[in-house]
Amino acid sequence: MKYLTIDTTTKVTAVSLADDGCLIAEGFLHTAKTHSERLIPMLDQLLKAASWTLQELEMIGVVRGPGSFTGIRIGIATAQGLALVLKIPLLAVLSLDTLAWAGLGRVEDIVPILDARKNEWYTARYSWAKGQAKAECLTPPQAIPTDVWLEQLKELDRPICFVGDATAKYKVRIQEVLGNRAVIMPEYVSLPRGAYAARAIWQRWQETGVGELVEPFYIRFSEAEVNWAKKEEARRRTEHE
Amino acid sequence: MGGIGTEGEGDVMGSRKSKIVILGIETSCDETSAAVLVNGTDLMSHVISSQIVTHQRYGGVVPEIASREHSLHIQPVVQQALDDAKLGFSDLSAIAVTYGPGLVGSLLVGVSGAKAMAYAAGTPLIGVNHLEGHIYANFLHQQDLEFPFLALLVSGGHTHLILFKAHGKYEVLGRTRDDAAGEALDKVARTLGLGYPGGPQIQKVAKDGDAQAYKFPRAMLERDSLDFSFSGMKSSVLNTLNSARMRGETLHVPDVAASFQQAVVDVLVKKALRALDRTGVKTLLLAGGVAANTLLRETLDAELSARNMRLVYPPPIFCTDNGAMIAITGYYHYLAGDFSPWTLNADPGLNLT
Ligand SMILES: [Zn+2]
Repeated sequence: MKYLTIDTTTKVTAVSLADDGCLIAEGFLHTAKTHSERLIPMLDQLLKAASWTLQELEMIGVVRGPGSFTGIRIGIATAQGLALVLKIPLLAVLSLDTLAWAGLGRVEDIVPILDARKNEWYTARYSWAKGQAKAECLTPPQAIPTDVWLEQLKELDRPICFVGDATAKYKVRIQEVLGNRAVIMPEYVSLPRGAYAARAIWQRWQETGVGELVEPFYIRFSEAEVNWAKKEEARRRTEHE
Repeated sequence: MGGIGTEGEGDVMGSRKSKIVILGIETSCDETSAAVLVNGTDLMSHVISSQIVTHQRYGGVVPEIASREHSLHIQPVVQQALDDAKLGFSDLSAIAVTYGPGLVGSLLVGVSGAKAMAYAAGTPLIGVNHLEGHIYANFLHQQDLEFPFLALLVSGGHTHLILFKAHGKYEVLGRTRDDAAGEALDKVARTLGLGYPGGPQIQKVAKDGDAQAYKFPRAMLERDSLDFSFSGMKSSVLNTLNSARMRGETLHVPDVAASFQQAVVDVLVKKALRALDRTGVKTLLLAGGVAANTLLRETLDAELSARNMRLVYPPPIFCTDNGAMIAITGYYHYLAGDFSPWTLNADPGLNLT
């Protein structure tokens, strides 16, 4: 079964063409240009290079977050648009679940960290230790201050393998807190890759076998919603008194 | 099957489409909209999903929330537009989409979706300037418009006087140097506690007010300038409100609303007449959200008919943001063979030049 995956949840545009879980072609761009400018041209180039036509695709997979709000929406709008016209199923996976594939086969816990600004990460914790078909999720996806998360990991007292787009920037800090219990993967492993999404989507297809209604997964509310909720809360409290 | 694109003997080879079918998509601000237009005249469908209610509690459009809403609605809105038109993607001649100006996150949802659909359907992509769209909305119900004409574009983000010499050939004669007219109306409405969107609220309340009650300044700028300035007028209203509040007086809100609306309309009308006078053009097109304002329409109507000139404005549904105006603009770009590359990006600061 031939399929396409799209991951634009970070600054990397990552696209893959795959067949029954096997990677056939992969696009990776970590440049200054925007996803909007890179995505369709990259897909076009990959299809030509692989001698595939769009009409051969039988399924599309998209990474729906967490990550850059705008990036998430570009990926989903593109994947939805393609699936709508081609009349093929659309599937989605989470960015953190997808990055867990970067640590396939490792004995340490896998902790993807994605830059969530304001000194926070989108993160989760996984394990491949039991040799299963899919990484076991030990801590579900969350947005958390970097130091709070590192302290929590320190208390676990376990070896941890870090992947994700925040590894380069926080390498020193991670080592300060966790010392030699931290394994920090290099960028070419750490950043989102089409290869990871190709595996994550294939795994999902094995589980569900049908297309799904895809919505963004932001974790965070927008700032306006948060502020409004705070104001409402304060108003309700004063009304109570 | 052939459908609308392959009618008649001569087209069996599919060498040319006998009808030009454009899907227009608009997501630049707080409306997700799509429309299907055939041959620039037959509007087969028009779907608008408005977010006004969502943004009301925040007193204005919140960009991140707008983007989130577009992301949820673009696909069903496009699907609905095609279903209503009883057409499929294979029937389309091109897909037109707003690429600016507007909120960047919102624009990107429409641009990304439209690009993917056009690429997958094998049809050309046409990036449309939203401001051009507002003006071209007039062609939806007036196909006999003749060049040259003057356009007065008045919305929440823009106030422009533009001379159109031919399709796609235009010259901006005047623009606002600070606030757009709609923006000033919004801000005054908010201060008066009238809520969002401000323009329609001001108009509603002004009905019961005396437009002569307050003398707000009319900023005309230099003697022959066709530019606009609304921030001073807005400040004058806010000052009036503040000093009344300090003296413990309560102002009659309908009077303030009516007087301010009158001041804005006076400036718009005066500048439009000045531009008509200078260019010798006999037709004025009104466009943008504020074009739905009754006082503006009626004043211009009276002034222009007294001069034997023609005033054209779209029905209210085509004044606010909509996919039909993007489809018709796309249609004229299609005729000119003016298509966009797959690298098309959102341009939030796009202007008319
Ligand atoms: Zn508009």
